[in-house]
Amino acid sequence: MAEYVPGLEGVVAAQTEISLVDGANGQLVYRGYVIADLAEEMSFEEVAHLFWYGRLPTRAELDGLAAQLSESRGLTGAASTALDALPRDADPMDVLRSIVSVQGVRHRLEKPSLEQALHATASFPTVLAHFQRRRHGLEAVKPRADLGHAANYLYMLNGKESTPELVHALNTYLVLLADHGMNASTFTARVIASTDSDMASCLVGAIGALKGPAHGGAPSAVLEQLEQIGTASNAERWMREARMRKERFMGFGHRVYRTYDPRAKILKGLCARLNPEFYELASKVEETALAILHEEHPERPQATNVEFYSAGVLQAIGLPKDLFPPTFACARVAGWSAHVLEQAAHNRLIRPQSEYVGPEPRKPVPLAERG
Amino acid sequence: MAAQTAVSEVDGANGRLIYRGGYLIEDLAPVANFEETAYLLWHGELPSRSELDALRHEMVSARRLEDAARATLAAMDPETDPMDTLRTVLSAQGATKTIAKPSAGEAVALTAAIPTIVAGAYRRRQKKDLIEPRDELGHAANLIWMMEGQEPARERVHWLDQYLVLLADHGLNASTFTARVIASTGSDLTSCVVGAIGALKGPSHGGATYAARTMLDSIGTVENAEPWLRDAHARHARFPGFGHRVYRTYDPRAKILRELAKTADPKRHQVAAHTEELALKILHDEHPERPNATNVDFWASVVLTGAGIPKELFTCIFATSRVAGWTAHVLESEEDLRIIRPASVWTGPAPGKKPLPVEQR
Repeated sequence: MAEYVPGLEGVVAAQTEISLVDGANGQLVYRGYVIADLAEEMSFEEVAHLFWYGRLPTRAELDGLAAQLSESRGLTGAASTALDALPRDADPMDVLRSIVSVQGVRHRLEKPSLEQALHATASFPTVLAHFQRRRHGLEAVKPRADLGHAANYLYMLNGKESTPELVHALNTYLVLLADHGMNASTFTARVIASTDSDMASCLVGAIGALKGPAHGGAPSAVLEQLEQIGTASNAERWMREARMRKERFMGFGHRVYRTYDPRAKILKGLCARLNPEFYELASKVEETALAILHEEHPERPQATNVEFYSAGVLQAIGLPKDLFPPTFACARVAGWSAHVLEQAAHNRLIRPQSEYVGPEPRKPVPLAERG
Repeated sequence: MAAQTAVSEVDGANGRLIYRGGYLIEDLAPVANFEETAYLLWHGELPSRSELDALRHEMVSARRLEDAARATLAAMDPETDPMDTLRTVLSAQGATKTIAKPSAGEAVALTAAIPTIVAGAYRRRQKKDLIEPRDELGHAANLIWMMEGQEPARERVHWLDQYLVLLADHGLNASTFTARVIASTGSDLTSCVVGAIGALKGPSHGGATYAARTMLDSIGTVENAEPWLRDAHARHARFPGFGHRVYRTYDPRAKILRELAKTADPKRHQVAAHTEELALKILHDEHPERPNATNVDFWASVVLTGAGIPKELFTCIFATSRVAGWTAHVLESEEDLRIIRPASVWTGPAPGKKPLPVEQR
């Protein structure tokens, strides 16, 4: 019988042609394309098409997809009612989980479909923008069909169009985070799909997994740590002291890359252009963190993870911290839904084994005889 | 292996299901009700009288829905698949300000709220008003009360309660594994349970009880069993309620349910017993090397029918039971949290393909 492998590290759980994390060479590959070749060139819609249809769209296909997405941005009546009923101070990840669940209800079970992938992807930003407006006592802003996915999200959040620079930054973020191999949330979606369940159940489960700070939750922690450090000149002293207290550096450490995370590199460049104040502090903190971590474990690779510079990009875009994780979900839903379709097409129930570590069988005592 | 657990063990080779503490399911079912079983799964030991009273009190006070959950339930189309209603309303019930570390208190609260949502979904399907829980009734009795508005006969409560005990945990099945993967990221208990409900919804997992009942309805009479099964077999259709991955002998839960079915629904028991005999014979003739394959869903469908549960609620009732196990697994995994991130094999094109600009595609 197979050994227990904590975290299933190195255990192969699926075959996929959607994305490849080549940790040894520091590459993230979407269906054959290296992320650096896609990130600042492609719209999120093109990458979603790549995931769902297996290839980049022609102009006509892209126009068709963009039109379908913009028609699918609205919320159902039940979803709007539920959104209004949720507490204003609820965690936006809980709001997204609940409203995506309402949006996906059906009279009877349906097989996961491309149309559902598209509908879900189109409506995630609407859920978040409506909730953000509502908790500030503002009217919801209706989506605008002439705006692309990233531009429309910012428009619905702010009630006005954002600059092309910020739209480009958000689009790049969405492209970079759209898929990443067999991470915990994607794996969750695939396990759920393996029971022949429906698309909404898979996505709702994946949102729940992404909610965990060890997965989607670190970006706000990054900003909080930077706020505590305060200034670049304070970095070295603060960080050495933090280490004495056994505190972790937020935004560092990952399992898969042996070299610099290719997404972090692109986000770092964006930060330098968009958010110079953040960049000045963050790059110093990064340099110091990497130096300290290297002193402690010279054998380990450079460990800046994607969350570190994501925080600066999303801050520059004007998102509140608690919208960072659900905005991550807005990107990753393209990947989740593609993985669900892939799993459903070649399905076998995922039911791993466990190792029993409890006592040997014994007899229960009836209630009346228990102490 | 994907986890170490002391919550339950499916010893397939010997046909044993062991619940936490080392109790065999056939020893536990006669002495413990669902609340006691849930306590066992959460705390590792059966409760004393005073511990059980405290748990009952805690569950009773967590049965009512939050305003957001109520409003969400009221907003949903009454025809909605009850599992979708359960997934959604439980998510709304658990929508909170901050992310909380999973706790035994939350496990109790989620377990207590599920029957209220299930009964609520049922009442809405019936176009009837919701019924408030009754504090003096136990978990199973209160569920039927909230569905029907009448206090059920003791036997019906017993059949439902036995079902809830038998299905409360079963090793690392797909929904439990889902809950553990979600927990591994440091997420909250509601997210784990909501994800598990989504996995249980799949026909290959929790949906099988419904399929077994549908088959028995379609067979209808003892005489019709043989032609029905032969015909299905000729069409290469699977027999719902037969086949499982883990037991090499008769599923111990199916055995207990088969006995209960005799009194819970004698007429259906007759049809089911005959159907089982024939189905096993057909399956054995085809694959003599395979073990007897009656699964828990087959006999559960008869017992739940006898307890008066409509079949469209079967999967929800499964969730009502399994939530005890899901939450126990999450609490157990919290002791040594490590993110679950398996590997995958790349079957796509070789990396490095250059993308063409859109106008050149």
